[in-house]
Amino acid sequence: MSMRIHNEVSGSWDAYKPSTQVPWTLRHVVHLHRRAGFAATWDELQRDLSDGPGPSIDRILAGKSRLRVPDDFAGTADLLAGEALRAVDTGRLKAWWVYRMLWGPDPLGEKLTLVWHNHFATSNAKIGYPTAMWRQNQLFRKYGRGPFGELLKAVVHDPALLLWLDAPVNRKGRPNENLAREVMELFTLGIGNYSERDVKEAARALTGWDVVHDSFRESASDHDLGEKTILGHTGRWKGDDLVRILLEHPATARRLAWRLCQMLMGEDAVDEVALDALATGLRTHDLDIGWGAETILRSQAFFDAKNMGNRILGPVEYALGSAHALEYFDPPPSGLVLAEWTARLGQDLFYPPNVGGWPGGRHWLSPRAIIGRANFAAALVEGNLSRPAATLDWAALALRHGKARDLDSLITFYGQLLTGTPPSSGCRKRLQAVVGPKAGAEPKAAARAVALLLASPEMQLT
Amino acid sequence: MLSRRAFLRSGVQTSALIALAPTVPAFLTHTARAAPAERDGRVLVAIQLEGGNDGINTVVPFKDEGYAKHRHTLRLPTDQLLKINGEVGLHPAMADAARLLENGWLAVVQGVGYPNPSRSHFRSKEIWESARVDRREGSRKNEAAVDTGWLGLALDDGARPADKAPDAVFVGTEDLPLALWGRRAVASSLARPEDYFLALQGQANPAGVAAANGSDLAAFVTRHTLDAYATCGQMADVLRAKGRGAGYPATELAGRLEVIARLLKGDVGTRVFYTTQAWYDTHAAQSPEHGRLLGEFSGALRAFLDDLAAAKLADRVAVLVFSEFGRRVRENGSQGTDHGTAGPVFVAGPGVRTGLVGKMPSLLDLEDGDLKMGLDFRQVYATVLEDWLGLPSQTALAATFKRLPLFRT
Repeated sequence: MSMRIHNEVSGSWDAYKPSTQVPWTLRHVVHLHRRAGFAATWDELQRDLSDGPGPSIDRILAGKSRLRVPDDFAGTADLLAGEALRAVDTGRLKAWWVYRMLWGPDPLGEKLTLVWHNHFATSNAKIGYPTAMWRQNQLFRKYGRGPFGELLKAVVHDPALLLWLDAPVNRKGRPNENLAREVMELFTLGIGNYSERDVKEAARALTGWDVVHDSFRESASDHDLGEKTILGHTGRWKGDDLVRILLEHPATARRLAWRLCQMLMGEDAVDEVALDALATGLRTHDLDIGWGAETILRSQAFFDAKNMGNRILGPVEYALGSAHALEYFDPPPSGLVLAEWTARLGQDLFYPPNVGGWPGGRHWLSPRAIIGRANFAAALVEGNLSRPAATLDWAALALRHGKARDLDSLITFYGQLLTGTPPSSGCRKRLQAVVGPKAGAEPKAAARAVALLLASPEMQLT
Repeated sequence: MLSRRAFLRSGVQTSALIALAPTVPAFLTHTARAAPAERDGRVLVAIQLEGGNDGINTVVPFKDEGYAKHRHTLRLPTDQLLKINGEVGLHPAMADAARLLENGWLAVVQGVGYPNPSRSHFRSKEIWESARVDRREGSRKNEAAVDTGWLGLALDDGARPADKAPDAVFVGTEDLPLALWGRRAVASSLARPEDYFLALQGQANPAGVAAANGSDLAAFVTRHTLDAYATCGQMADVLRAKGRGAGYPATELAGRLEVIARLLKGDVGTRVFYTTQAWYDTHAAQSPEHGRLLGEFSGALRAFLDDLAAAKLADRVAVLVFSEFGRRVRENGSQGTDHGTAGPVFVAGPGVRTGLVGKMPSLLDLEDGDLKMGLDFRQVYATVLEDWLGLPSQTALAATFKRLPLFRT
């Protein structure tokens, strides 16, 4: 299985094979799980370190990478969603998604769901209807790793996006450009690949798309039957023709390649040549998202030194990844509390800031978010993600994994768990100076050391 | 003037974390240029109307025949407008702004835009915030392509606030606006005062990443982390202080301006404050929503200036109000308007030369259905930087622009 290598994309995306130059180390395992999911526990890391990249990536793709998944996961998740929707409670809907990301068997699938939530950024601030937000979210999950065309078609035919971008009021003779513009600028081509005239013509093609009784409907009487010229193609185009024209355009493949690299690759790790190569590969694979993600994850480029530690963790990745890696399992953290935290850190689920989504990257680290992350770290180590607060023993966790409980060993262990490498000697000294060199056995000092480590600048990177 | 040693002795709650850090925060590296305490220093407050404000229904050209021609359902009755002169009037919801105008505290700059306008929210915001109109299309693909804003760059050239406050403060829940990103200037953001109360003390900063990777991203994270901690103690003290302003409407924008007023009353040395008012993207059923937004905007602006006047601080403050674009001249079929081009900019405060500046573009002489711009937004920026803040504008704006008669002195 693991040798199902994707050599169609030559050069830039050649497959990674461990070698003496680029050996398979704990750092690589941590890197893989941070980027493809929401971090990993010590046991998951050790298993993958010993099995090598092939089986480790196979497990991630198959949704079998987590060692601890609740037996009744699917049932519990559905129950949480059902209750949130019955109560028309967006907070509980956020908690449902947090539960899926934190406990589900398929972190990669949930992360792709998050990517599509950002790509087709729809805010409940305008929709005001959790059921519509939940349905859209389920589409991201269902189609999020198949052909991009199927995802796009499903999402643009779904009420949440149509209402968000005013599709129902875009009618023959009374065009409204909102959906037409954003479907080109944000969902497919990207800015610079179409003209203002294309936007106007596309809006005409989309006339008649409506939402009736919570479902998509094409209203023939509202549709402009006239001829339109979109991106050089002339015809009596309807909305679905527009979608087809956009999917066939090479800029869409390139934007899709960019989006996948934004998720999995770090700053300045992908050049134009590599992006073009991935886009070309995507076009020969029916814009298959899963193919794209797998190609990146198995590549040398992904495990290259210049692609490590050069991506800023987003708030959801940071908060949920920390809770998972640090085995905050029993009692579990509250999904409601975690969702509140990600909002405070700048990523309020179901409420992206605008149709462009979260800008991400360096923008995550506003001063407010930096203070917020330090406060989150303090809340986590003190058990304040649970209601009521939990008592967590940070020396005991290290002990359970065969580590000594003196401060130096603790720092080494938690540094390795969170980044794959032991903290530098400078960091170690500074931590000891703050916490006290012999304080390891004392629970409060251990908790403080973990929090300081978690809040430090290097922990914001992956 | 504060030396690094004095700062470390100053006992702010975060000093331990600074002492532990391998590098000093940016503001300590150029204290040599710090100015004396600036109780009298001038301050700019920028309000960005997010989504593209319909300028035509904000400063209404009721005498222009094109108005009735292009606006059917959205046309505001002439007799309800708050007339500025025989040709234009403010939206009826803007009574508070009209009062400011009567008091001589409001300048209305008409027809402000830039060449080859983009109708993309993101591109147009980037242009307004960076003051760079010539970046290649598609630069959003590469985050690193645009990483400085006009105010950040201008503040890079100015003196540091003597009290170690950030150069610029953004009030809001959104990301720090590009406009405030500089190379050395420190910009901070807050939404609620609690954002600055740090639970975790004694932060340590492992230098390992920067050394191992050599990437400037690691340096960026370290610098921003240190800046955030260094400013938060001081900000928290000011924000905890009692004596909140009275008379603010219960709106989001008024709340944000009230926080800015509190910082000003606390003598924070920050020179630029920035906030936003969202939801101007009125593609459908525009009328009630747009009136509500403009009412919220002008009510908040007046309450803010009244509060500062009562505290004898208003003379120090100029407020700049703009949006990324205006909206299409002809309304669309859903009683809304699509993305357009030029629009009005407001400048408010006791120091402004009140009245209209520039000509309202004709609604009958359009380009591709949109207004032709009259004034370049960078002329407004150049005036605000040079004539109000006393900062050089050439680097910030990448060129020299003819200034406008916006201020009394």
